[in-house]
Amino acid sequence: MDASSSPDRPIPRAAIAAALIVAAGALLWVFPLFRIVPLQGATAQTGPNTAANETFDPAATAAKLWSGELRAAAQRAADAAAVVSAIRADPAAARQKHARSVGMGTAYYFVRGSGKVVARDRSFIRIALDGPQPAIVALRIGPIFGNAVRDGIGLLDVNQVPGLHEFNALAAELNKRVESEVLPALREKADIGAVVTFAGCAEAPESVPVADEPVLRIVPVMAEVRG
Amino acid sequence: MKSPRVLRLLSCLGATLCLSMLGCKRAESPASGKAAGDPAPSGARRVAVVVSTLNNPWFVVLADTARDRAKELGYEAVVFDSQNDPAKESAHFDNIIASRYSAVLFNCTDAKGSIANVRRAKTANVPVFCMDREIEANNAAVSQILSDNYSGCVALGQYFVEQVGETGKYVELLGIVADTNTWNRSKGFHSVVDRFPGLKMVAQQSAEFDRSKALEVMDSLLQRNPDIDAVFCCNDAMAMGAYQALLAAGKASKVKVFGFDGADDVVKAVAEGKITATVMQFPKTMARTAAEYADRYLKGERNFPQRVPVAVELVTRENVQKFGDYGRKQQP
Repeated sequence: MDASSSPDRPIPRAAIAAALIVAAGALLWVFPLFRIVPLQGATAQTGPNTAANETFDPAATAAKLWSGELRAAAQRAADAAAVVSAIRADPAAARQKHARSVGMGTAYYFVRGSGKVVARDRSFIRIALDGPQPAIVALRIGPIFGNAVRDGIGLLDVNQVPGLHEFNALAAELNKRVESEVLPALREKADIGAVVTFAGCAEAPESVPVADEPVLRIVPVMAEVRG
Repeated sequence: MKSPRVLRLLSCLGATLCLSMLGCKRAESPASGKAAGDPAPSGARRVAVVVSTLNNPWFVVLADTARDRAKELGYEAVVFDSQNDPAKESAHFDNIIASRYSAVLFNCTDAKGSIANVRRAKTANVPVFCMDREIEANNAAVSQILSDNYSGCVALGQYFVEQVGETGKYVELLGIVADTNTWNRSKGFHSVVDRFPGLKMVAQQSAEFDRSKALEVMDSLLQRNPDIDAVFCCNDAMAMGAYQALLAAGKASKVKVFGFDGADDVVKAVAEGKITATVMQFPKTMARTAAEYADRYLKGERNFPQRVPVAVELVTRENVQKFGDYGRKQQP
């Protein structure tokens, strides 16, 4: 009897081992114990806004805005005298009608107007607005802090940038622009009696300020001084 | 007939492969599989409130308000305390996902480290709404309702200069260094104070938003810097700890303390002149908004802003009467 043709002949151990190795290899190919992925791809999936951070440049964004959209937006800003009048009548209603905020953040007005310088100190110049009703506003000429420009101009949304850190950096860049491009002329030329035409942003007051206090404290984004 | 040895070998191999497959998961393509925004299974009406710590009254208010608002909206709500431990937070998320909660109202322990938890929940179709503390990722949480810390500390910095003057020495107590609130507050403050070269920061150290640690750190800083004029603390718990250290050193009347949060005990201390100023955050507003967003999401709405800054207000001795109970007194 031919042993090689016998049905009871045991399968060689080497063949069983080979089959098992092939089967295990196939399974591990389909269901690997671990995967090696490119670090860049992994970070993009799990990391914090990496790609966005690399592309977001607050200085460049501020520069583009400053030389482009901001000028057109300033022409559409609310009339300062009308806003002051509305605040005096009803601060909450004025805020509702004229102010804007990012999310549930602080509300700011974006206003434009002109008037005569009536007082100045190292931080502010006070301006008596042109118009039938006397109204005093203050333009800041000292260091510029905070988010008035970023949030007041109505052109920027926190959800357009990678995160709050970047949004705050954008506020700082806009403030630098104000300090370098708007304030020097006001500091040098806006003496008492000079006429100033301006556009700028101011925090919406909660109540009507007392008689001698300016109704709005404005961070100017544009200013022209005559006389 | 197969030999028992071969069977044993096959059994072992099979078991190993099964275990391997259980432990492995194929990498998911963002474009493949179910949309992460799909709603949770119908009938699930439980909301998890995961909070960084309950060892600070401010966060207790945040968590309790979120839980209570969720209950008002018809959900069962459970509060999970991460005890400022990212590992505990991660375990909470495992539990929440396995237990098929409908949504998570989340106050994270780590702006970067917590992202993975939020992404895991999103993959499991459990929407996450961040409260107060930001995670540094877009499109992981459905929405993040966050205090405008930077603006608050700009206002605080300006008041600091008014009160301390343009010359003097101060120390800064930082919060948890992995938390973006710590740096947004610190940067807002320094964006103002650093413009005055006469104001010198002689030490900057973390007390991890913790009152007891702040007491220890302040005590140590006072020994090295006995002539400081002020201390800026990144939250109110640390402000109280710093004040206690100053009181023990007999310097409470000489050194001005500035905090951030609007915690009840600090608002009272501002009224009594013990703390110079704080900044009122509105934890109840943030918690209620997060719960309401979650409810709207679970009812099918999908259009939520990724980040919602919430206004904060400077609290000084001049206006402190308007504030109390973690908000404005007149607040509805």
